[in-house]
Formats: sequence, C-alpha cells, structure tokens
Amino acid sequence: MKKKIALITSVVLSLSLALTGCGSSTANSGKSGGAGGDKIKIGVAIPLTGAIAETGGTIKKAVELGAEQINQKGGINGKQVELVELDDKADPKEAAIVANKFASDSSIIGVVGHYTSSTTLAGAPIYNKAGLSHIAIGSTSPAVTNAGPFTYRDITTDAYDGEIVAKWTVDEGAKKIAILYENDDYGKGLADVYNKKVTSLGSQIVFQEPYNLGETKDFSAILTKLKAAGPDTIFIAGQYNEAAMILKQGKRLGISLPVFGSNGLYSDALIQLGGQEVEGLRAVGSFHRSADYPEAKAFIDAYKAKWGQEPDTWAAYAYDALNILFEAVKNGGEDRKKVNDYLTTLKDFKGATGTTTFDANGDCLKEPLKLIVKNGKFEIYKK
Amino acid sequence: MFWQQLVNGLTAGSMYALIALGYTMVYGILKIINFAHGDIFMVGAFLGLIIIKQFHLGFVPAFLLSMVIVAIIGIIIEKIAYRPLRKSTKLAPLLSALGVSIFLVNFAQLVWGTEVRSFPPSLQIDTFQVGSVTLSNIQIYALLISFALMLALHFFVHKTKMGVAMRATSHSINHARLMGINVDNIISLTFGIGSALAAAAGILIGLYYDAVYPVMGYTAGLKAFTAAVLGGIGSIPGAMLGGLLLGVVENLGAAYISMGYRDAIAFGLLIIILLLKPTGLLGKNIQQKV
Amino acid sequence: MNFKPNRFLPNRFLNGKLSLIGALLLILILPQVVASEYVMHVLITVGLYIILSLSLNLVSGYTGQLSIGHAAFYGIGAYVAALLMLRLNLSYWAVLPLAGLVTAAFGFILGLPTLRLQGDYLAIVTLGFGEIVRLVFLNWDKVTRGPMGLPGIPSPQIGDLVFMSKVPYFYLVMGMMLITLVFMIRVSESEMGLSLMAVSHDEVAAEAVGVNTLKAKLLAFTLSAFFAGIAGSFYATYISFISPDSFTFMDSITILAMVVLGGLASIPGVVIGAIVLGVAPEVLRFMADYRMLLYGALMVVMMIFKPDGFWGAKKRVYNVIRKNLEQKQLLHKRGESV
Repeated sequence: MKKKIALITSVVLSLSLALTGCGSSTANSGKSGGAGGDKIKIGVAIPLTGAIAETGGTIKKAVELGAEQINQKGGINGKQVELVELDDKADPKEAAIVANKFASDSSIIGVVGHYTSSTTLAGAPIYNKAGLSHIAIGSTSPAVTNAGPFTYRDITTDAYDGEIVAKWTVDEGAKKIAILYENDDYGKGLADVYNKKVTSLGSQIVFQEPYNLGETKDFSAILTKLKAAGPDTIFIAGQYNEAAMILKQGKRLGISLPVFGSNGLYSDALIQLGGQEVEGLRAVGSFHRSADYPEAKAFIDAYKAKWGQEPDTWAAYAYDALNILFEAVKNGGEDRKKVNDYLTTLKDFKGATGTTTFDANGDCLKEPLKLIVKNGKFEIYKK
Repeated sequence: MFWQQLVNGLTAGSMYALIALGYTMVYGILKIINFAHGDIFMVGAFLGLIIIKQFHLGFVPAFLLSMVIVAIIGIIIEKIAYRPLRKSTKLAPLLSALGVSIFLVNFAQLVWGTEVRSFPPSLQIDTFQVGSVTLSNIQIYALLISFALMLALHFFVHKTKMGVAMRATSHSINHARLMGINVDNIISLTFGIGSALAAAAGILIGLYYDAVYPVMGYTAGLKAFTAAVLGGIGSIPGAMLGGLLLGVVENLGAAYISMGYRDAIAFGLLIIILLLKPTGLLGKNIQQKV
Repeated sequence: MNFKPNRFLPNRFLNGKLSLIGALLLILILPQVVASEYVMHVLITVGLYIILSLSLNLVSGYTGQLSIGHAAFYGIGAYVAALLMLRLNLSYWAVLPLAGLVTAAFGFILGLPTLRLQGDYLAIVTLGFGEIVRLVFLNWDKVTRGPMGLPGIPSPQIGDLVFMSKVPYFYLVMGMMLITLVFMIRVSESEMGLSLMAVSHDEVAAEAVGVNTLKAKLLAFTLSAFFAGIAGSFYATYISFISPDSFTFMDSITILAMVVLGGLASIPGVVIGAIVLGVAPEVLRFMADYRMLLYGALMVVMMIFKPDGFWGAKKRVYNVIRKNLEQKQLLHKRGESV
C-alpha cells in the first residue's frame, strides 16, 4: 500500500503545484481588469488559425481599428476600450472553450463573434446561460435565429440570401442545377432553402451532395459524380477555400459550368487561391468596396489608412458588430444586463454594412448585392 | 463514370504508395511506426512550392532539390529522435515520432502560415479526352513519376549492393552487423530514401489537388500507413499494391456509397484484411517466438 | 486466493486511509481557495485526463496491448450521454451508468480482435476503430448532427441545484477520479491485475501458468472502455457541446502520451503523466505560437532521456510478479491451499 500513499501524496503535491503556478498569474491578471477596472472589456471570438484563418485576420484588423478609433475619441464615458481576442479556430469545440472563458470572466460585458454558424451555435448556450450578449458576424444559418435571447447577428439569415441567389440562378437560365454543400449548419441550411426556391421556380436539382469542411482537399470523386449527373449550373454552399479547390479540380476533369454561391465565397482569398479558374463566379454579399454611402466610405478609408489594404465583407460586419456593442455600452450601461437590454431595442443603426435593426430573435434584414468575379476582382454584377 | 473514378483512384493510390514505401521500409528494418512520416511529406510539399515560387526554379529542379533536402531532414530526424531509442521499449520511439510530428506541423504553421497555398499557374493544365475519361497532364505526370520512382526503388533494392545490405538489415539487424554491414549507415539510407519519396509524393499531391497546407500530412500519412499495412508492412511491393488498391477502393466508395464515409471504407477494409490475414496481402508470415 | 502478506495489512490500511482523507480534504477545500474559474477549468480537465489515462493504462499499461484509439470510447460515452439527455430528457444521473455500459460493450467488441492480433497490428486495428467511430459521428448526421455537433447539453441537477459554476463540476470529477483510482489500485493488487501483467509480460507463459489470457484481455478492454465512457459523459455535460472534432486521433495520442510519459503500468506514474501533460499546454501558453512547437520537442527530449517515463514501473512490475509467483510456489511447496 506504499504505492497508494505515494500516489495520493503525488496527486496532492502536483495539484497544489499546478495550482500555485497558474493561480498566482491569473489572479494578477484578474485584478488589473477586474470589476472595479477603468477599462471596458469586449471579447472577440474569431478564427485566427485553422481552415478560415484569412477571414479571422481581416476581422481582427477591423475590430482593432474600431477600438483604436473610439479610444482616440476618449473612449466610452471616459473609459478606454480593451479587446480580448481569442482564437476559436472555426472549430465548435474550441468555440465552446472560448465561450466558457468569456462567460466566466465577469469583466467582459459583450462579445463580437463567433464567425461560422457552427461555432456561434456551439457558443450560444454558454453565452445565454451567462447572460452575456454576443453579436455573431458571419453566422448566417437559419438555426441561429432561435439560439437564445443573448444571441444577435448583424448579417442576414440564409433563409433570405438563399432565396435571392436561387432566383438569380434561375433568371440566368439555369435548368439543371448541381448543389455542393458544406456539411454543417451554414451549408445545409443554405442548400435546403436554395433547393426549395429553385424547384418552386421550375428548375431542377440534378445533384446534391455534402462535403466536410477541412476534412479533405480531394474533390475528384464527388466532381466526377457531379459531371455524370449532367448539370448546366453549379451552386456551392460553402466557404471560399473549398470553392477554389472545387473549381480548380473541376477544370481538370473537364468541367466548366457557371458557378453561383452565397456570402461564404465572397472573399478576396477565393481569388488568390482560385486564380483564373474562379473568373465569372457569381455570389451575393452585403458589403462592397464601391459602396457609396458615407458610413461605408469612412470605414473603407480608415481601414486602408491603417492597414494598407482593402477591407473585405467580414471586416465590415465585425466593425459594425463592435460599434453596435459600443453604442449599447454608451446608451445602455456598463454591465451585461444593461448591454443586452439596449440591444433588444436597437433600431436603425447606420454602419458600414447598411442599417441594422434587431428583431425579437436578434436577427436583421439587409438587401444583399449581386457580385461577379471579373479580372481577378469582385465587381457589382450588371447584366 | 466508373472508368473515370478508377483513373482518379489510381492517381491518388500511386501517391499513397509513394508515401507508404517510407513507412514500410522503416518498419521493415526498425520495427517502428514512424508517425512523423506524414509530416515529412508535408515539408516536402512546402519546400517544392517555395523553391518554385520564391527561387523561380522550374518544376524538375524544384522537385529534385526538395527530395534531396527532405532526405537530409529525414536522416537528421532519425539521428536525433530515433537512434538513441533503438534499444528501449517499443513505445518510446513511437512517442518520440509523435513529438517530431507535432513539432513539424507547428514549425510549418509558424514559418509558412496556416492557410492553404497553391502552386503558381505557370504549370499549365491541359486536359485530354480518352473515351469517356478526362485526363489532365498533371494526373499523367503524377502517375508516370510515381511509377518510375517505384521501379527505381525496386531496382535499387534488388540489384545493387546497398540494396542487398538493406534487405539483409531488414531481415536481422544483428546478423547484418555480423556480416560486416554498417547498419547505422543503412538505417540512415533507409530514412533518406523514404523521406525523399515522401517529398516527391508531397509535391505531386500538392500539385494534383492544388493545395499545400501544414496539416496535409495527417490524413495522407494515415492513408499511406493504412496502405502499407494493407499490402503487408515491411514488404515493398506490398506497399505499392496497398497504395493503389486503397486509392481505387476509396474513390469507388466515395462515388457509389458516400463521400463522407470514404475514409471509413478505407479503415474498414484495413480491419477486415488484418483480421483475415493479419500480415497484409503480401506480408510474410512471421512465426511467433515462444 | 490471497497472495498478500497479512502482517502488513493493518498498518497499510491505516496509512492508506489517512492519505485518502488528506486528499479528500484538499479536494473539498480547493474550490474555496481558488478564485479563478480558469484554474478550476484546468483542474477539472486534469481530473478528466487522469480518469482517461488510468483507464487506458489498464489496456496498454498492465495488459501491454497498445491501443491508439482510446478517444473513440471517450467519444462514444459523450455521444451516448448527450443523445440520451437531449432526445429522451433523461437526467445526467440516469445517463451516467448507461454511457459507461454502452461504451463497455464497444470495448468488448474491440477486445475481440485481440484474440487474433498482437503488437503493432492490434495498434493499427485500434487506430482504424477510432477513425471509424469518429467518421460515424461525422456522417451519421440524422442522429449526431455531423460536424455541427450537439449543442446545449443540459447540466446535472441535484434536487433544485443545477450545476452552474465550476465548483460542483470539480467535486463531481474529483469524485469520479477517486473512484477510478481506488478501483485501479484494487485491480492492480488483485489476482486479475497479476493475470493482466502476466499477459503483458509473455502471453504464452501466462497461458502456461494457468492464466486465461482470453478472459483477461477482454476484461481489460471492457473495463477500460467503461471508465472512458464515464469520462466522456462528464465531458459532454461539462462543456455542454460535443462534436466529432473532440475525439480525434490526436486526442487518443494525447491520452497514450500521458500513460507512456508517466510510466506504463504504474498508477502514480500515469497520474503524474496526466497532470503534467494536462497542465503543460496551459503553462506553456505564454509561449503563444511557439507553444505546441516546444511541446513536440519536449516529447522527443523526454523520450530520449527517460524512455520509461517519469515513474517507470517496468522493472517494479516484474518484481511484483516474481515476488508473487515465488510466494505462490512457496505456498505450494508447503502444501497449503492457495
């Protein structure tokens, strides 16, 4: 039984060692930004690594710009804003961990994120339990609508966007359509809405198959199958990385059909990856650099001045989400409940992505733009 | 569609076979599973990409240069992470290999970033129509190069003095040493050749799917490992057969059953083969020593 | 059949009890002392890792069957628990044993190939099993919601008290950990433990001295899976969200690394391994991007300098077996019944 004694003492010792080690350091950091702190802390949950790290990078730039702007103006109610950025890797598991971290840090009074629908849905129960409001950025799945009273998004649901792309596809003369969708909340929801609308407009879905995000880069088998089904148009309900692979590998199998997509494809990274093969791809999106209203222009100019490059659509959504939270802190108050109370009443917030009004479910409606890839750039589509 | 899927499967399979050779050669001699092999393959793909993009060399010199560099990396890894463990328990080199694997992936993420990269469009894509099958030039290069490399390896192992020494070492390290073979050199050589083949596969796969990224070694490594076991681990022709078979079965499975279960089909096949014939298709039956 | 020399019993019993009480006290007090939720989270995770690595130790440590698919059991436990709670609205306490039992059944199934396969081949089968289980989670989306995972898994509840903060979770996982620990210590000192170690040492010899190796191996796999399933059910209710990504090959490897790094077939070793590898990524967090790079390098260095782990038990295990076998022979010579 010596073993047992040694064992338990070792457990005790190591646990206390581990404890004193981490305990002291976190206690300090807790003090500096604690409840009595003179800073307003906002959480930012975005994919900084992983399958869609590029998007996470532009979001990071946008929120840092937003924070810098407000701090230069003297902060909110005289207090400086501090962002706490955590990487959710676009992975629902990581998202739950990130959400737990934010939820348990009482100095954080609002969160921007998450980006993908699945990460938002993974985090939502945790935020809602903790009474912490979060504004999702790119999470367009219809399922987010019912995620809870503390879950908001400043982007339109796919239930709306999907129908608009569907109508557009059919208007362009598509009769037999093949759907490739990402097997998650975003892709599935979008594919369903799209399928229904297209069928109701009299065109036919000849092929519909899922692929798993990040699981494979080899689409040859699924594309061979798609080709055999004989479609005249392809609709991709997924992200730009996979879309670029699909188009490139499709070309090698002799597939060259018109391709439509939704806002997941609307990223400059699509063009960087896909090159020549994504020319002519059409997708909807809500923000474009040639937008002519003052809020968008101001954002684009400021972003360019700070980062030396043009913002993409997600940067704009993140920027708006952060500014909405600022509004809520300013007009509502500096705790979680007051922030949420204000958000439920948010009306006609004018930002880079247009006007945002939250409905009872924390959703909003914005008319998307029709876009096409022309000469290596997304341009506003003109027939 | 069947023929097209078959060709796709053979292309993927020929590249699995190239990676599988590294697993099988190392296992044949040291009886350890080199879990870092898939990541060596990834490093090969990145080096090829960088040599072409940053140093503006052509495909052929980039291909050869990457193979040489990765061979050296493989030899160094063996010297640092496996050689000191040759006499220890079986699990120690396995974990050491995993350590190397984690190190390489994170190294790649730090140096080359996490995002997917692609080869420059200077490598033109042409497609040909053969009956109902569409072939691309890249597919043909990939098939030709991997078969040429496999033939070269076969020739090397069976017709050269070094190859004989390698086979002898694989048969028994101690006996080989008694016969005057420098076992350490042979092991280095094995790692070098295996890694070079993995680098070749890395560039070919990177080109074929037009995607190079730090975690690409994980799936490819698992698949190639499966292929090696399927063919009979330790057997060089077995690895080739296993690779091709796996590629074909997988593609047909993806086409006729489900894309999502493609990998499950591969592993299911593996388990069945192991249960029916544990030594794989071409593996030698090893008597258990009592 | 009791090989234990009786004269040590009272003393040992007392010491064991004392240290157990000490540990219990510490566990009770800890949450009152630790203010940070984050540290509580790390401690809970470490507790979970201890259960997982102790359960794997039964198969890979004592019985010597290399398993690199342990995360599959962890995942099955988590999915069974989550699905029963979400779909049938069962309480966590009802689900907990069920998750363990269902997972144990899968453990039994995976144990079957061991009747034919050994060593690396068995390892590969466990790897294949692990991947297939994950792919089923991923693709059986009617039931598991595929890559979207299962969100909103309810918390356990005692009477009106719903688990909200980390404290009750901490007590729960520590309770589970202690039960697992005591069970594993009992097993290691029982006849069954000796049979398992005999199998790991030399299967043919074990069979020759009358160990039913078939039964021993199946039992090890089944029990090991049971505890992993329990751990999985806890994970599901604690994180409140599960997806196939939580149960990958890398997770299996992490658990195996804890067992090997700590010291195969050594309970204190395995516990230390779980603590060190559970805390290391958190402690290394200040390294930011270099964290995992260092982690990989440390693993290699560790293996080179201490290939038997922190608390290598290899030699000690054989000593125990030898001592026990000698005693057995001695008793036989004396003609006493065993």
